[in-house]
Amino acid sequence: MLRAALNRLLGMAIVMALVVTIVFIIVRVTPGDPAAVMLGPDATAADIASLRQRLGLDASIPEQFVTYLGGLLRGDLGTSIFLNIPVAQALWLRAEPTFFLTIFSLLIATAIALPVGVLSAYWRGTLFDQAATTLAMLAASIPSFWLGLIFMQVFAVQLGWFNTSGFGGPGASFAERMHHLVLPAFTLGLISSALITRFTRAAMLDVLNDDYVRTARSKGMGEWRVVVRHAFKNALIPILTVVGLTAALLISGAIVTETVFGLPGVGSLIVSAVLRRDYPVIQGALLVVAGLYVLVNFIIDMLYLLVDPRVRY
Amino acid sequence: MKPFALALATSVIALMSANGSALAQTAGGVIDVATIGEPPTLDPMASTADLVGIITQHIYETLYTFAEDWTATPLLAADMPQISEDGLTYTIPLRTGVTFHDGSEMTSADVVASLERWMRIASRGKQADAVIETVAATDDATVTITLNTPYAPLLSLLSLNNAAAIIIPEENAAQDPLEAYVGTGPYKLEARVPDQYIQLVRFDEYASRDGEPNGFGGARLQYLDEIRFVPVPDPNTRVEGAVAGQFAYVDQLPVEAFDRVSSGATEPVVLAPFGWPVFVMNTQEGLNSDIRVRKAIQAALAPEDMLLAAFGSENFFAVDGAWYPEGYVWHTETATEPYKPAGDTEAAKALLAEAGYSGQPLRILTSRQYEYHYKMAQVAQAYLEAAGFTVQMDVVEWATLTQNRANPALWDIYITHSPFLPEPSLMGIMSDTSPGWWATDAKHAAVNAFNAESDPTKRVALFEAVQQVIYDEVPAYKVGNFNALAAQSPKLEGVTVSPWPYFWNAYLTE
Repeated sequence: MLRAALNRLLGMAIVMALVVTIVFIIVRVTPGDPAAVMLGPDATAADIASLRQRLGLDASIPEQFVTYLGGLLRGDLGTSIFLNIPVAQALWLRAEPTFFLTIFSLLIATAIALPVGVLSAYWRGTLFDQAATTLAMLAASIPSFWLGLIFMQVFAVQLGWFNTSGFGGPGASFAERMHHLVLPAFTLGLISSALITRFTRAAMLDVLNDDYVRTARSKGMGEWRVVVRHAFKNALIPILTVVGLTAALLISGAIVTETVFGLPGVGSLIVSAVLRRDYPVIQGALLVVAGLYVLVNFIIDMLYLLVDPRVRY
Repeated sequence: MKPFALALATSVIALMSANGSALAQTAGGVIDVATIGEPPTLDPMASTADLVGIITQHIYETLYTFAEDWTATPLLAADMPQISEDGLTYTIPLRTGVTFHDGSEMTSADVVASLERWMRIASRGKQADAVIETVAATDDATVTITLNTPYAPLLSLLSLNNAAAIIIPEENAAQDPLEAYVGTGPYKLEARVPDQYIQLVRFDEYASRDGEPNGFGGARLQYLDEIRFVPVPDPNTRVEGAVAGQFAYVDQLPVEAFDRVSSGATEPVVLAPFGWPVFVMNTQEGLNSDIRVRKAIQAALAPEDMLLAAFGSENFFAVDGAWYPEGYVWHTETATEPYKPAGDTEAAKALLAEAGYSGQPLRILTSRQYEYHYKMAQVAQAYLEAAGFTVQMDVVEWATLTQNRANPALWDIYITHSPFLPEPSLMGIMSDTSPGWWATDAKHAAVNAFNAESDPTKRVALFEAVQQVIYDEVPAYKVGNFNALAAQSPKLEGVTVSPWPYFWNAYLTE
């Protein structure tokens, strides 16, 4: 297992080096100028050139890359051009909404998807299965911004149970901040549940007809015990994969949902940084997101080893 | 009452309230104001963005500001400047007893240091720097600005709230970027959590001017305890927030949401007119360096259809070729004959033939950041093609547009908009270096005469010559006037309808 972990870690380092390089190049070759955005619509070319010089954007791209790498090696992600604070601090300030939104969405998604997927497979071909499959298809097809706006209209505008947007004002308590996450979490949770439901159903169908399930039944074991202890446990690997990937996607910032609900999370930070061409934030945020993504995949790989001793890398 | 009429009535009531006619002002309360996003900076010298000005005008103040009739009026200055007969020396008396948010008292040394920073950093300050010889403190309460040539727009430049000549403590004036957000305004910065809120609290030591409120000038009354600016970048979410009544004030709503907002917990507020969309011509390079082609474009465009496509209802736009609408001192119909509401395709064809046009693509640079820019561009494309142009639409996102428009090799027309600025000299085309690069002898003659004249009445007459030369040489095509939509809680009163809404003088009712 140690060797497998080391191999995976080496692969992660290579991926991260590629991410650093590719993101830097893409950001620099994309048209748009942070100085022009910052100075506003009436700024002159001379003003823009002067600000570019102050921000170090007048240096050649290789020079900028070397400076950036030097900073990275010292653990410095740079300073936001617009927020005027270190990128690491900007990300840390956005971590709370994104972290809890990810947790809540994942809880909602799995709470819906796992029982529905298992039952759908168990009652294959029944009305329940057909309804669950159709609803999962529907949920997978709904754009998150649309579902978010519908939830907003019903639960925030009509019923007044929630705020339409934001993450609480000054002095908002933890409970108040979490209250702002309810609608976005349900939006993301419902949509994410579709994929997990379908994977759970498919994985369960694979194992429900296996010999060991038949054997367990023939030994007179209770039906639910067979399904949960034998079938579900063995179907966990693909389910774990899709839950892990969903988590990684959510950590990387539910960009659209955060924007619609005005949540100051990592996703909305990336969007605003791209629109303003805040290069250090784009680079830093994508680096951290890619790091988390790779880390989640690493954890999933390691979990495979624990869940299924037959797995070898 | 029709919804639109109701909104206009609301606007009028708001204006009346701001003038002190309301009776039930009570101190206290906190308001949330939804804005279009996070400002790029809280240093209003460093940006010309309206959003920066809207927020920071509560924190910082300038020597002068704009009264209700858009004339300059003193703010931190004690009075209007004494201008020497040759128009070269401005002696500005300062108010005494004005305190910064850090507790120090404003003196002429702060003013000199601030104005020098403004001339060094702010785009409008650099514009003034070209004519300013010296800024000096005559005594603790007087500052003298000496010019190398008469320059009438100076007072307007000192009054504007973006790229603004704010007065900050001398010890902070060397900061670039600004790190200490210390001003003399009625509200001070308490906290800023980017993309979450900007919290301003009442500055208890604020020294208001005496008298009644008068536009941005006059007395500034501090009824509210706190003002929180909350960025809500998604326009649909701002609409829903307005309908739900989550905010006391919601800025910049899409006009098509008027009916929906009318049915909600907040009331629509219409600013009519708000501004003007404009097609800026690249006079330096490419097709539009030929004045005949620019005149053909002017003839081909049909502003009525363009505005209808862009704003949906005549309630939200006006077909108007004058560069300032009625109600502004600068309004004149001089030279507007070439502005044809339905276009004149035949005239455009003739002009194009005269120019010897041979089918080169006319490149229109636009974005969908402002959907109405794009819609106008689409209609313009149809009319231009009908006149014989080959049109190439270059649709990019806003950050790319702001970069590309600085390169004359990349475009022939770019689309932008502006609120009606109180001083015509602040319009982009008035500067030779602004994208479009309009710089001709006729322009210089008209604009220099306008800028050099300090008598307000004579300046009004001289602006007619400026409008004449704009229509003669077509450096830009003003499409018309458009209105802006905002929403305001019925409990919030005392807010003046403005392109840069402000919340001193505002108060909450039960």
